[in-house]
Amino acid sequence: MNEFIRIERLFCSLNKVQVLRNINMTLNSKEFVSIIGPNGSGKTTLGKVITGIIKQDSGEIFIDNKNIKDLSLPEIGRKIGYLFQNPDRQIFASTVYEELSFALKYKKTSIDIIEKRVGEILDIFELNHLRDASTYSLSQGEKQRLAIGAILLNDPEYLILDEPTTGLDPKRKNELSKLLNSLINHVGILLISHDKAFVLKHSDRIIELYDGSLKNDKKN
Amino acid sequence: MTKKIDPRVKLLFVICISSLGLAFTKFSMLLAVFFIGLLISHVLKADLFMLLKRIKIMLYLFVVLVVIQSIFVRSGDSLVNLGGITILTSEGLSRGFAYLMRVLIILISGAIIATCDMRRLIQGLIQMKLPYDFAFMTSIGVKFLPLLMEELKDTLTAIQLRGIDIGKLQLKERIEIISYIFTPVFVGALSKAKKLSLSVECRGFRAFDNRTSILTLKFSPFDYLAITLTFILTATLIITNQYFI
Repeated sequence: MNEFIRIERLFCSLNKVQVLRNINMTLNSKEFVSIIGPNGSGKTTLGKVITGIIKQDSGEIFIDNKNIKDLSLPEIGRKIGYLFQNPDRQIFASTVYEELSFALKYKKTSIDIIEKRVGEILDIFELNHLRDASTYSLSQGEKQRLAIGAILLNDPEYLILDEPTTGLDPKRKNELSKLLNSLINHVGILLISHDKAFVLKHSDRIIELYDGSLKNDKKN
Repeated sequence: MTKKIDPRVKLLFVICISSLGLAFTKFSMLLAVFFIGLLISHVLKADLFMLLKRIKIMLYLFVVLVVIQSIFVRSGDSLVNLGGITILTSEGLSRGFAYLMRVLIILISGAIIATCDMRRLIQGLIQMKLPYDFAFMTSIGVKFLPLLMEELKDTLTAIQLRGIDIGKLQLKERIEIISYIFTPVFVGALSKAKKLSLSVECRGFRAFDNRTSILTLKFSPFDYLAITLTFILTATLIITNQYFI
């Protein structure tokens, strides 16, 4: 396992409220790490700071040995796939197919390859019957699967999943479990979750945040 | 001071300065209205810098429009001449500045309104006999605006996190991306409006013809003084514009 993300002396505040205090950690590739903690402990903010969505007050974050201050959002997006807490916030195309093929289309990928790769994701996430359906008419679980599928099509080296089990029934949660198990040999995963059973089942390491500070960092 | 003044008085300030800004054509008069507006906004502690920050992108458009206004007016004395072709005339320059003054007056008006507490402003509109439905819609619209802005920002972030550098796309592709940014926000706003209308009706909205309110606005002596001064100042400016300049 190689170091993929390194965080040093990270402080971050939102609307003049200190949300993260002196965070130091490393996250390795092909490692499944979970971040747990009560509401307002800074879990989501930490995920957003790592992906450059929110700027930190001080401290450094390195992705693949590059300081994120020197990387643009698209450059970070090519390395890290970020699943928003609310999938509505990241689904922007009108149909399921359009949403999945979006990034490939703008990267000038050939139609044949787009068809093939989108088809694979539709199969994996059981979205085939919804291929041409409007994204606005999907259920919460379908939106969640679509959002993860769209991220995976970007071939990220690392995944940050913010509450991916929200809105999933036990069957879908099991399927997400299987998918994450199959992915861990290829990418590193940072799971932000309240779902204790899900966290315990998958994690190599569990990090606990409390009031913006790192409380615990232990192997599972 | 900001809290003390009745929102209806602030509305009167805004109606007066924006009407005068649109009616006056002489540069000196527009400048006078602009400074009076600036003084009022300063007294009311309006956050002009925050407003300018929010409309930063549009400021470039204003500058371009001022330049276009200046260049395309051909009347007046030639001021800038290149190879026998008149680029800028005195009349063009005067109209360009007049346009700039009008835009600034409208921006100041917006900043003055922004100092109102929205609940009090809506109550002011209701007491001015505006139907409650319209006043309620206005207040909801104002409350939802920051949320819609946040959604726009999130969609843009989501697009960029897919590895798409919008700045490096061709113009045609950039135009396509705009539809990806605005469609979910538009659809989301419609969906929110539908849920909200259902929610307010479930809570008895419009169940009776008349609504009572715990908040009632009353003019203070200071408000009456401000109204009188506003009328006197507006009349003075109109007379000065008509007979002395």
